[in-house]
Amino acid sequence: MTRILLVEDDDETAHEIVAEMVDRGFQVERAATGSVGLERARADEHDVLVVDRLLPEIDGLTIVETLRREQVRTPVLVLSALGGVDDRVRGLRSGGDDYLAKPFALVELVARVEALLRRPSDTRETQLRIGPLELDLIDRTAHRGNRQIDLLPRECRLLEYMMRREGQMVTRAMLFEDVWNYRFVPDSNLVDVHMGRLRHKVDAPGEAPMIHSLRGAGFVLRAPD
Amino acid sequence: MRLTEFARSTTFRWAIAIAGAFAVGILILFVFVYWQTTAYMDNRVDSLIVGELTSITAAPPEQRLSLVENRLYSDPRRIKVAGVFAADGRRVAGNVEDRPVGLPPDARPRDIEIVRTDPQGREVQPIRAVAATLPDGELLVIGRSIDELGEIAAIIKRALLLGILPASAIAITAGILLSLRAQRRLEAVLQTVRRIVAGNLRERLPVRGSDPFDQLALIVNGMLDEIEGLIRDLSGVGDDIAHEVRTPLTRVRATLERGRENAATLEELRTIADRAISGLDKSLAIVTALLRIAEIEHGRRLAGFGEVELADVIHEVAELYDPVAEDRHVHLDVEAIDTVSVRGDHDLLFEAVANLVDNAIKFTPADGRVELRLLRQADSIVIRISDTGPGISEAEREVVTRRFYRSDKSRLTPGVGLGLSLVAAITKLHGFRLTIAAGPGCVIEIIAPQA
Repeated sequence: MTRILLVEDDDETAHEIVAEMVDRGFQVERAATGSVGLERARADEHDVLVVDRLLPEIDGLTIVETLRREQVRTPVLVLSALGGVDDRVRGLRSGGDDYLAKPFALVELVARVEALLRRPSDTRETQLRIGPLELDLIDRTAHRGNRQIDLLPRECRLLEYMMRREGQMVTRAMLFEDVWNYRFVPDSNLVDVHMGRLRHKVDAPGEAPMIHSLRGAGFVLRAPD
Repeated sequence: MRLTEFARSTTFRWAIAIAGAFAVGILILFVFVYWQTTAYMDNRVDSLIVGELTSITAAPPEQRLSLVENRLYSDPRRIKVAGVFAADGRRVAGNVEDRPVGLPPDARPRDIEIVRTDPQGREVQPIRAVAATLPDGELLVIGRSIDELGEIAAIIKRALLLGILPASAIAITAGILLSLRAQRRLEAVLQTVRRIVAGNLRERLPVRGSDPFDQLALIVNGMLDEIEGLIRDLSGVGDDIAHEVRTPLTRVRATLERGRENAATLEELRTIADRAISGLDKSLAIVTALLRIAEIEHGRRLAGFGEVELADVIHEVAELYDPVAEDRHVHLDVEAIDTVSVRGDHDLLFEAVANLVDNAIKFTPADGRVELRLLRQADSIVIRISDTGPGISEAEREVVTRRFYRSDKSRLTPGVGLGLSLVAAITKLHGFRLTIAAGPGCVIEIIAPQA
């Protein structure tokens, strides 16, 4: 079972996060202060740490820095009410693996934790294959069964990202940050439009769908049943 | 201000220091004058006595003694000295009692002391003298009293004493007056600053002329104008936030309240919860956008500046929005000149252009056209976004970049109304200009000056 350590001082927030995580089948331990959190994290028994940035006693970034100095390599998701670009950069530089600004949708948090649990497949691989879907990163060509799929460069990047995270929920914000490298979220349905294009090409009429929308959350690519 | 306080004040110390420097200057001047004068006198005495020595030596032997006697004849101030001594040291003529010691007959002037003897009596006198051996073996001594030099030195010393006291007094008085004036101005400034610190931001420092003090006051006043403007903006923003965030929150509250009473099924409750969440997201988006504008306006992003290829930015934005435009049946047309780089933050410039393109596509009806251009104009680089939408009326153009302002026509289009304010903040941070003009629809330009 996946064990998660949540270091969060606000009781209500912590309660909701723990409940959501438990519903998703994670085993969650919560620490309410920085020092307890650091102590528990040192035990190195967790698969993912979710650490709030502003904590009593020891702040979140210090915890991450201390752990990294002590060679504790558990992946860390930093939560913060500070949403500035610089804050994010600082959060990642201190050793955090991902940074999520408050307020966030619980489903976004879950998606990020899952992403940390399942780091993407070997990035040196140039041939990706999920069920009938194949993507050659050198030729930039894709096939579904015998059908060739013509992809624009941006669609190729998007498909690669999805295929490396097979069966894993990816949110709009993750796509925007990782595929397009942008930190601002425009208020139009940009990501949906791009994903719609890709889906149109991957899932031809009559074929079992591989790219699925998760209502209010994001997208997932999985092999057809 | 009390006197002790004044004595401790920096300005007073400066006054004293200036007076001191003044006195030292005067002293140096007098020393110089003294040195120059005595050197001149020495020179003059030397050339006088050497000249006389030469002329007497050159005179026929029978005239020499009378020349010596003539020389001494009229000398009421008793400054001339002359003597002729036989080879055995005996005095032949003149007013020098003994053959002077330490005066070799080499025609070079020296300072010596002799005993002077004449009808007025004997007197030890320091003189400047030269000596030469005459052709008949006698020694000729010509001299001149240097008491005169001592007198000049005394005059100069007296002048110095008489001069330095009033000069110092004047310097100190002037220093005190000047420092008092500066002190008064400083006091006036301090009073004003205290009032400003106490919260009266309307106050400005007094400006009288154009001395450095006034220039400083002008700069501080400019700074105060800027601060006052910022605070006015900020309080305006506060009102805007209150309004813009309250509106969706009120809606959320009403939705939840009615939903709690009326929802009969879980499905209905879910719909209500979804509406509430989207309302909250909208409120939060406003706060996030505002913080972001504040972050950019405060210039904290200057650290991310580098060389940015504008053509790349244009093409990236086009790539991102191409499918969106296509979905809305809007033709997105892109043309960019090559290799134009500016100093800036790539991500922010991307964000600005993306925002403008996003807006243009949003406001352009189906079968319309959005043009994205990167062009060179005279001495600037222009990013132009034009559309065939409803455009922005002249009256609205000014206010449109203000936070939250949204053209009435766009009330039905989603968006929090901060896009243009964000673009304005980004262009300002880069030192670019943002212009909004009427075209067939709306023409917005970001103008980057090029050296």
